[in-house]
Amino acid sequence: MASVSVEAVRKRYGALEVVHGIDIVIPDGEFVVLVGPSGCGKSTLLRMIAGLEEISGGIIRIGERVVNEVPSKDRDIAMVFQNYALYPHMTVRENMGFSLKLRGAGTSVIVEQVRRAAEILSLSSLLDRYPKQLSGGQRQRVAMGRAIVRNPQVFLFDEPLSNLDAKLRVQMRTEIKALHQKLKTTSIYVTHDQIEAMTMADRIVVMHDGIVEQVGTPLDLYDRPANLFVAGFIGSPAINLLRGTLRRDGGRNWVATDAGIDLPLGGNAGGKDGQAVVYGFRPEHLALGNDGGLPVRVDVVEPTGASTFVYADLSGAQICGVFTERHGFHSGETMHLMPQLDRVHLFDAGTGHRLVG
Amino acid sequence: MSLRKIFNEARLMLLGIVIFIWTLIPIYHLFVMSITPRVETFAGALWPSRPTLENYETVVKQGHYYLEHFWQQLWNSAFVAVMVCAITLAIASTATFAISRLRVRGGRLVSNMALATYLIPPAFLAIPMYKVMGVYGLLNTQWSLILTMVTFASPYAIWVLKQYADKLPYELDEAARIDGASPLQIFRLIYLPLMAPSLVAIGTYALLLAWNEYLYAFLLLSADKDITLAVALGHFLTTDDAPFNVLMATGAVYALPPAAIYYVFRRYMVSGLTAGAVKS
Ligand SMILES: Nc1ncnc2c1ncn2[C@@H]1O[C@H](COP(=O)(O)OP(=O)(O)OP(=O)(O)O)[C@@H](O)[C@H]1O
Ligand SMILES: [Mg+2]
Repeated sequence: MASVSVEAVRKRYGALEVVHGIDIVIPDGEFVVLVGPSGCGKSTLLRMIAGLEEISGGIIRIGERVVNEVPSKDRDIAMVFQNYALYPHMTVRENMGFSLKLRGAGTSVIVEQVRRAAEILSLSSLLDRYPKQLSGGQRQRVAMGRAIVRNPQVFLFDEPLSNLDAKLRVQMRTEIKALHQKLKTTSIYVTHDQIEAMTMADRIVVMHDGIVEQVGTPLDLYDRPANLFVAGFIGSPAINLLRGTLRRDGGRNWVATDAGIDLPLGGNAGGKDGQAVVYGFRPEHLALGNDGGLPVRVDVVEPTGASTFVYADLSGAQICGVFTERHGFHSGETMHLMPQLDRVHLFDAGTGHRLVG
Repeated sequence: MSLRKIFNEARLMLLGIVIFIWTLIPIYHLFVMSITPRVETFAGALWPSRPTLENYETVVKQGHYYLEHFWQQLWNSAFVAVMVCAITLAIASTATFAISRLRVRGGRLVSNMALATYLIPPAFLAIPMYKVMGVYGLLNTQWSLILTMVTFASPYAIWVLKQYADKLPYELDEAARIDGASPLQIFRLIYLPLMAPSLVAIGTYALLLAWNEYLYAFLLLSADKDITLAVALGHFLTTDDAPFNVLMATGAVYALPPAAIYYVFRRYMVSGLTAGAVKS
């Protein structure tokens, strides 16, 4: 096991730079998820760590060793690919034992290691099958088995679950996490699915257009998004964002929207009077206000059983609320909703940065 | 099934039958003449009145002036074909591995140029090739024919093989690299096994191209003991009263190995080993 550190790493394809200087330090044993929209460069970064892409600038270390010029096979890493990349002409056993065989391990070592990995992943009964005789979930597990069989320093995953159906994805998510808790191998996991990131990560790295937007624990990112991008990317249903002007008058702070609504703020809000800001609150941080809250007209009500999603119109802006109590909303009715003041996020409208008081 | 559909299928079926018969007529002709006694050669019967194997006996026992070296010539044909097959496979598999998998710079250019060589019909190159072989002192050796045929088979082999190689998921190579494989190991342990069906198809192509070659064999080889069977068959026609029955019997024997090879490898021509490699 080893730490991984990425220092000012850049990637250029010809004249086009797609990764613009990324710094991440991943301590030994941590499970880090790289998340971001399609095309943001997460696969590229992962592949540079794997040694499958050249590094155009910066330094990547695995443990103490700078690996910029070290070929993949000598980096002591294992990778799970989105499409599994199982060798179709080899049985599950041969697939899993391949790396050990290449490294010249003895037959007894290979047999023992494959047996151990197969047991961990419940693959023991499938060892003599060929990849084409396996279901998607089983192939996924074999790909994992191939990775864990030789005890690498680092596991790399590139969207390993995106080819599975929704139910299996949730199940494998749990399995991968359990596996990590058992093996404690440093892991870097790429996904564009923020739920996957939230549920699996010790720490999340949010990427966007080739830069890192924020690094933190899942709850950090959720509770204190550093900017508008992270606020909008993390959380489902998405955070409500309303544009307006910050007003300070004596001890009272509020945000005045262009539509003439005054959005309430707590006492410790940052920012200057007159500043253009974005006011954000998450759907579940809305309470039924009596007459004091924001007047909204309910458009759509979606009960899921556990909670109820309410989509409503606030003077032309659409907002979403999630309620765990069954209030009995009706579409068309007008009601008052109140954001929890200590859960309101304020961002500068120009830079998108979080304003702290 | 509607009447119209039945009619359409019947039409296609009829067309198929006509083409099938059209294709078979020469072969049938060859077979019938090969089992017809010499005296009846041009009787024109659909089936000889007294079918006989005497023509085949003549061939096998080398019992005719034109067949003195029959076995030697059959062997020559086989040797040339097998060598052309092996060398073409070696060239095409390593070349496509470099172009498609190692992604060597300029690889695409090479494979496009390979195809461009087909703009010149091989017959046009007969004299230049003859000169080249003369310069290297290879005339009248079987290696001249082998090298020539490899020259003609390789570009097409590379082109076709590259199409298949490009279809192998690149992640397989990447997975193997991470697993610790060197390029040579990827070639041997991943590429060759996965390309086996295409290699068999390409190998068969090269084998038959060489086996059937007449022009270059005629040009580059002359001694009776060196020539291939195709050239020997041509010699039959140098007299006015060619022994057609014996010629046809020899032709039938000559056609057997290709037919057998097609039959044995028909499975490889169609099967795709890569099923299950990645989720499609
Ligand atoms: N070989 C290449 N040549 C040029 N540009 C490339 C190449 N590979 C990737 N890119 C570009 O680099 C950027 C990052 O690609 P990357 O594959 O890392 O995205 P990603 O974050 O993994 O997205 P996804 O979620 O769709 O997999 C993209 O804009 C892509 O177009
Ligand atoms: Mg990607």
